[in-house]
Amino acid sequence: MKRHISRKEFLKEMGLLSLLIAAEGHCLSPKNKGEEKADIRGHVFKNDAPKSLWKWSKEGFHYTTNGKDVQCMVCPNRCYLTPGDRSVCRSKINIGGKLYSLAYGNPCAVHIDPIEKKPLSHFYPATLVFSIAAAGCNFRCLNCQNWEISQRKPEEVHHHELFPADVVRITKEKNIPSIAYTYSEPISYYEYMYDTARLAREEGIKNVWVTNGYINKRPLEDLTKYLDAANVNLKSFDDDTYRRLNGGRLQPVLNTFKLLHEKGVWFEMTTLVVPGYIDKPEMIKRMCGWILKELGPDYPLHFLRFSPRYKLNRLPATPVKTLELLRDIAIKEGIHYVYLGNVPSHDAYNTYCHNCHKILIKRVGYNIAEFNINNGKCKFCKTPIPGRWS
Amino acid sequence: MGFVSDSPEFGNRNSEAFVVLMNLTNLIIISIIGAGISSIAVQIITVREFLSQFSGNEITISLVLFCWLMVSGLGSLASKFFKKKSVTFYSILALIIGLLPLIQIIAIRFFRDTIFIHGESPGFYPIFFFILILSAPYTFLIGFILPYSLTVIRAKGREFTSGALYITDNIGDITGGILFSFILVYFFNHFKIIALTSLLLILISLVLIICLKRYLLFLVAFLSVTLFFALAFEKRFELWTLSNQYGPNIVNYQESPYGRIVLTKEIEQYTFWESGTPTFSTFNVINSEEKVHYPLCQLDKIEDVLLVSGGMGETFNEILKYSPRRIDYVELDPALIKVASQYGLLSPGGKVTIIPTDGRKYITNSNKKYSAIILDLPEPDTFQINRFYTSEFFDKAKRILKKDGILSFSLIANPTYLSEVRVKKLSSIFNTVKKYFHNVLLIPGEEVYFLASDGKLTADIPLKLRKRSITTSYIDGFYYGNVTKERIKSINESINPDEFINTDFHPRVINIMFKEWFKKYGTSPNWFIATLIGLLVFYVSLIKREEYLLFSTGFAVMGVEMLILFSFQVIYGCIYLKVGAIITCFLLGLLPGAVLGNRWKKRGKDMLIMAEVGMILLLMTYLIWVTFYQSMMPEIVFFLYGFTFSMLCGVQFPVAAEIIGEKKSPAAGLFAADLVGAGAGTLAIGTLLIPLLGIQAAIIALIFIKIASTFVILKR
Repeated sequence: MKRHISRKEFLKEMGLLSLLIAAEGHCLSPKNKGEEKADIRGHVFKNDAPKSLWKWSKEGFHYTTNGKDVQCMVCPNRCYLTPGDRSVCRSKINIGGKLYSLAYGNPCAVHIDPIEKKPLSHFYPATLVFSIAAAGCNFRCLNCQNWEISQRKPEEVHHHELFPADVVRITKEKNIPSIAYTYSEPISYYEYMYDTARLAREEGIKNVWVTNGYINKRPLEDLTKYLDAANVNLKSFDDDTYRRLNGGRLQPVLNTFKLLHEKGVWFEMTTLVVPGYIDKPEMIKRMCGWILKELGPDYPLHFLRFSPRYKLNRLPATPVKTLELLRDIAIKEGIHYVYLGNVPSHDAYNTYCHNCHKILIKRVGYNIAEFNINNGKCKFCKTPIPGRWS
Repeated sequence: MGFVSDSPEFGNRNSEAFVVLMNLTNLIIISIIGAGISSIAVQIITVREFLSQFSGNEITISLVLFCWLMVSGLGSLASKFFKKKSVTFYSILALIIGLLPLIQIIAIRFFRDTIFIHGESPGFYPIFFFILILSAPYTFLIGFILPYSLTVIRAKGREFTSGALYITDNIGDITGGILFSFILVYFFNHFKIIALTSLLLILISLVLIICLKRYLLFLVAFLSVTLFFALAFEKRFELWTLSNQYGPNIVNYQESPYGRIVLTKEIEQYTFWESGTPTFSTFNVINSEEKVHYPLCQLDKIEDVLLVSGGMGETFNEILKYSPRRIDYVELDPALIKVASQYGLLSPGGKVTIIPTDGRKYITNSNKKYSAIILDLPEPDTFQINRFYTSEFFDKAKRILKKDGILSFSLIANPTYLSEVRVKKLSSIFNTVKKYFHNVLLIPGEEVYFLASDGKLTADIPLKLRKRSITTSYIDGFYYGNVTKERIKSINESINPDEFINTDFHPRVINIMFKEWFKKYGTSPNWFIATLIGLLVFYVSLIKREEYLLFSTGFAVMGVEMLILFSFQVIYGCIYLKVGAIITCFLLGLLPGAVLGNRWKKRGKDMLIMAEVGMILLLMTYLIWVTFYQSMMPEIVFFLYGFTFSMLCGVQFPVAAEIIGEKKSPAAGLFAADLVGAGAGTLAIGTLLIPLLGIQAAIIALIFIKIASTFVILKR
């Protein structure tokens, strides 16, 4: 017998269908604002540690242990590792109740760069810097340009063998004044950086830290003893954006700035202007307000032009006008030195005296066409120019 | 005819005359054609939509087709267990199938940027699940309705075989394929195409509901249909659905046969988006200077320059600094040229000739000789683009270069650290191009630039520019700091001379690019493949022999379709224009095949084996051609080949149905076997075998599968 569908049954079926669609919609709908926010932070790799240590292992600094489990205290991730686990940054492991770094003396990238490339515009301009990186990072930035080393384990990359003494020796042989810990995230190879920096300081070589600034107070205090300069990313001034695009939090980075300032380490700040996320004038105003209040107007701020890369490749490049607008805002708010990056030939590559506004350093890319600073002062109005000058 | 007027649904005898006129079962049959028309158009649009949302490579295409065919198969299978035989239910179902595509496309656009982070390209598994979830409701229903229609028609007492249903469905598919590929895609955007191709199905559904005298239902249906058409034809609504992805500043949007073109303007910056990827933004000085000056400064005298793609922005101005006699600019998509010109992004001037054609086709057929050929193309992660990085292509390019002329192109790689997979990619391309040029130099700029020439090459670009008194914004100041001697040495020394050569029919680089893609997301497709193989083995172990035959035939026909698309792509390059024609040829072949099969179905097993042998012979012919000739073949040969192959497949469906027996209502199981096989074939041949092992291995695999199915039938 064929069955007749009554109107009531039809309405019931349509109702069920609507419920189904609504349920599907609910499952697929974005998380409610204020509840669970998108967060791409990394996780501990359970049972991922190698069975034994290798030549480039070193017992970690700054960790606690109960004899079995360990907790790394270098960065705010504070990875709690049971035996055989690997940290978020991929470089630290727990073997036998001790924390070990697998990134010690095995840099995967070794290059000689202009100091301006870090970018540092007020730190011995036109000098070279011996730059090294080992694998690993405590963030998960979607736009990372060095993801092939930052998002890899030390065992997964091919590397050189340069222990701290070797790095210092080569830098000295090549007559290069500084060493930069850069490209990936140096916090993930903290022990290697720390030991190299200590030896470098003994040899009169300067240490430059290029970082996301996601580090705890104690390890940073130790490190600042040997640091001469840093370029710290201030990726956003919004915690939600930090979680969404970088897998980190804002506050620890702000703490890093305050500590560097307190310890007298020269630093410059870099903000990559990602369209739709980090291009809001209101946020930049708040950011500048915080900088002025906590750090003062003298630390240079670099706005970099974003271009699509890695996983964040479905966004356009930042409009140059947006960068100019943000620079104007920052200057108007009171930051003395605001630069634009990734926009070749732009006037904002030059350094202008914050007092008389005349050109102090005229730059043609990494080259210097004009240099008007004498003994750290403006040649024209004699105002002291913040930074480290020869 | 088998109309049953005493159905409880047609209790009102006063309406009998009207109903007889309309003939209910005929309406259902017409609606099957309507569903066919709509489903083919929706399938192509869905592929294009997902391509615009995710990576535009073959993995995405295969995943969409795979999900489509698999879930359709599930839908078909589900209808086997669905006992209700109601025309009302059928009408509602048909109406939903008519309306759902618009909701599906809107959902894809809306959820893309709400589930994933705005601007992010997700990895393999998130893409797979996103495609699966969002396409499942429609594909399940479209798979369900076909065998269900047969159940309903038979319940009304009309004789209608699975073979006849298969033919009816094919008529709809063919009409949809022709309509989309030859007419609609040239004139309309996606929403309108959906509305137009769903029209027949929606109208028939409405008529069915009226015939059933379901007036309340009709009212709801009518309002839904009105809303559907109002939304589909409202341009502002369509633009609004795109604003999630592109932002609110869309100044131009169109769907060309080659993909989606969107132009946005933020403050003063224009950005061109091709199929969802930002391909060009104004004020991109670094790219313009690197791609032009690295090759051109190497030459003492520059006469004619050929630029393949990438002509927007500052490119021509940079080339003109060398005062060439003329510049030929080849760009594939005329729509792109039109939009760029309209907004002043392409201002070529008197020395430039714009040639709207495929770059490889132009280079193959050109009789001119050029001082330099500059390719500005995306990464070779699709068959379409890989054709510009193969041994055969470099040979052709060399032919149209003057003595000591230069060829240049670039690939993405980070000179700070070269990963193993990127060394493989660079090495494969290096070794391939080195076959034809005495000197190949890699320059690690923002991308890695390949310069290939028989003349001398130097990496000291600023020095060369100074000698010509050419000034630049980027190279002058940044080159020595970024492209250091140590980086140049390191990248050139990283090349592995033993890495495989990349050829048209053995596209090693696509395989490497797929690996790079998976590396980027730290995932592996192995779990997916293993699960799939497990499920397929389980499925195959459960089905009847005849169903296995159809499974293997579905596998083979989609596999051959992939082979033809790929070969056609390699030889002619204009695949986006011809893809509709090729798919239509396959669909066209099924129809006479099914008719013949229907006529000779009593011959049973012999008929099946004849078709099997025919397919094996055709595959062997293909293998011989690929192995020994690989020569230019007239387009018509490919079309005829596809037609013949699918005709042999078409023969098998009604015969297999006859063998199992109509009384057992085999349509659902047979359709499911055909669709599941087709899904597996698409994925296995298109995504795995061709890129991993080459086209010959893919053909051999298909031959083995067909031999196995022949044995299965012989043993029956």
